[in-house]
Amino acid sequence: MKPYFETMDRFGKALKPGRIKRGAASADALREVEAGIADAVTAVEEAGFPTEKINARGWMTVYQRLDYLVDTGTWHPLHTLYNPLENEEGKTNVVDGLGQIEGRWAVVIGFDNKVMAGAWLPGQSENILRATDLAARLNIPLVWLVNCSGAKLPEQEKFYANRRGAGTPFYRHAELEQAGIPVLAGIYGTNPAGGGYQSISPTILLAHKDANMAVGGVGIVSGMAPKGGFDTAMVEELIAKANAFTGRPPGDVATHHDVTGFFTRVYEEETGVLDGLKEYMRAMPAYGSMFFQAAEPKEPAFPIDDLYSLLPANPKEVYDFDEILARLVDGSERLEFRPDYGPEVFTGVCKIDGRLVGCIGNRQGYLGKGYPGYADYPGMGGKLYRQGLIKMNEFVTLCGRDRLPIVWFQDTSGIDVGELAEKAEVLGLGQGLIYSIQQTDVPMMLVVLRKGTAAAHYVMGGPTANRHNAFTLGTPATEIEVMHGETAAVATYARRAAKEHAAGRSLDPVIDKMNELVERYHKTSRPAYCARQGFVDEVVKLTELRRYLQAFTGAAYQNPTSICPRHHMLLPRVIRG
Amino acid sequence: MAEEVLAPLAGKVLSVAVAVGDAVEEDDELLVLEAMKMETVVYAPADGTVGSITAQVGQQVEEDDPLMTLD
Repeated sequence: MKPYFETMDRFGKALKPGRIKRGAASADALREVEAGIADAVTAVEEAGFPTEKINARGWMTVYQRLDYLVDTGTWHPLHTLYNPLENEEGKTNVVDGLGQIEGRWAVVIGFDNKVMAGAWLPGQSENILRATDLAARLNIPLVWLVNCSGAKLPEQEKFYANRRGAGTPFYRHAELEQAGIPVLAGIYGTNPAGGGYQSISPTILLAHKDANMAVGGVGIVSGMAPKGGFDTAMVEELIAKANAFTGRPPGDVATHHDVTGFFTRVYEEETGVLDGLKEYMRAMPAYGSMFFQAAEPKEPAFPIDDLYSLLPANPKEVYDFDEILARLVDGSERLEFRPDYGPEVFTGVCKIDGRLVGCIGNRQGYLGKGYPGYADYPGMGGKLYRQGLIKMNEFVTLCGRDRLPIVWFQDTSGIDVGELAEKAEVLGLGQGLIYSIQQTDVPMMLVVLRKGTAAAHYVMGGPTANRHNAFTLGTPATEIEVMHGETAAVATYARRAAKEHAAGRSLDPVIDKMNELVERYHKTSRPAYCARQGFVDEVVKLTELRRYLQAFTGAAYQNPTSICPRHHMLLPRVIRG
Repeated sequence: MAEEVLAPLAGKVLSVAVAVGDAVEEDDELLVLEAMKMETVVYAPADGTVGSITAQVGQQVEEDDPLMTLD
């Protein structure tokens, strides 16, 4: 298959000075958003006790543990700003992402021991489920750094119970194990109650010498005397009991290594635990990179910094998606699928580090005379029409057949609307795409380059409407909402405006409401909001996009659950004819 | 010889970035057209000097209408 993959069709062109000059203000705007995101990330990382204070107690912070554990330069954080219930701590209290340990990809997640000794906080279980889903979708190990003091008790009603509550990760660990995906745990500190189950539910438990895990901690064991309320005498009694307690916390290494044997190993040093995790990672199944490389890895032919000139911050400005893609894929090469059909979307096979991936993205701008053929209005990229939907259905189906992971790039204002579009079956074809994606059973990732709007955000590999989306990235230009704020204001208030007008009343109150709605949509669709709410799994700098594509493809090809030999692939033959 | 710059699509002229006599390089912005809620930048197809401008801000143009010439 060398003729297909070694050198594919080159595309893209070098930026001219005029384009760079014209895009300068937009590039500044994008970098300003990135700087704001970076500040927010720093605030999350600095939450809780300062690192020095943790170190003075003889402990490493979760960030120091990650730094020691993960191979240099391979950490790809996810969910950094995720805080859907707006905790005052500014985070859900777990730190997670994709990283390599001893050359093997893993989903790594740890409790932030700087904040309430790694307590469960509202929204944390959803964060953890994203990590377990990621490990399941990519079929790679899940590695835990457990250091969890249990629930933040004053807010337990927000996360303890419910179908996706704080206990859900325990059975998710069981599900991963059933699927043959190991869960490793390095265990530190005091882990009572929820922390105890966080510790016991993984597959291999490696403990620090001072670690413990238990069904209940010292607070409960020594202090339970329910009498329906508290008074001064009772609290003084509690204080006396607490002060008098000199015993070991339940479930320390003397119990769970020496007696139960739950802890596989115990280490004197904190770094020893991490070295143990590395040793276990070396024993994990993983294909060597050459196994799935269809060609030698190549850098893109154009600098990635060009993206700041190519992706307009202005959501209304048209740009050339192909030029964006040319900055992200190996050699700026591709095999395009059906270039003469469905011009509003690019579909094609590209390479990332020499491994084949299917790429799909919205093309922007005027689509030419006579398109879409079913309507008398002009077609504009970003919107999806009959042909584009059919093309994506075909392409993902063939990717599934050839076992190619898929990378989606969204900048979409929605699927075409109106009676003519309905007659052109766009409703059925959109849902058909969801069906086509589901049946592929290949890992996918999504980059919301700019707009993710309406049902098109769902059907184009969006995390809402399929199980194969491993993770979704936002950029500094990302904007996710059901429709643009101005459209929503019209839909909400047009009738009321007409009524007020007919009654001879002032339109000012309606206009104020419309502008308020536009402003609200703006605030709740921007990158930082999308990251906090989990609409995207991380907002990354444009210059980081290729790194995340490399992490995704590397992880997807590390230990795939099914394989299509390259010489059996159909898609390249369909493309070349 | 003057090169005509034509409207790539029907739309409203939102802004004109050059004036007659301006020297432009290939890929410099000439004007912006608005259509279907989107803004399409028309770039200089080659290096040259703006010879004449027929497009007016706010004007509705049809596809292939002349917008300006480059000498």
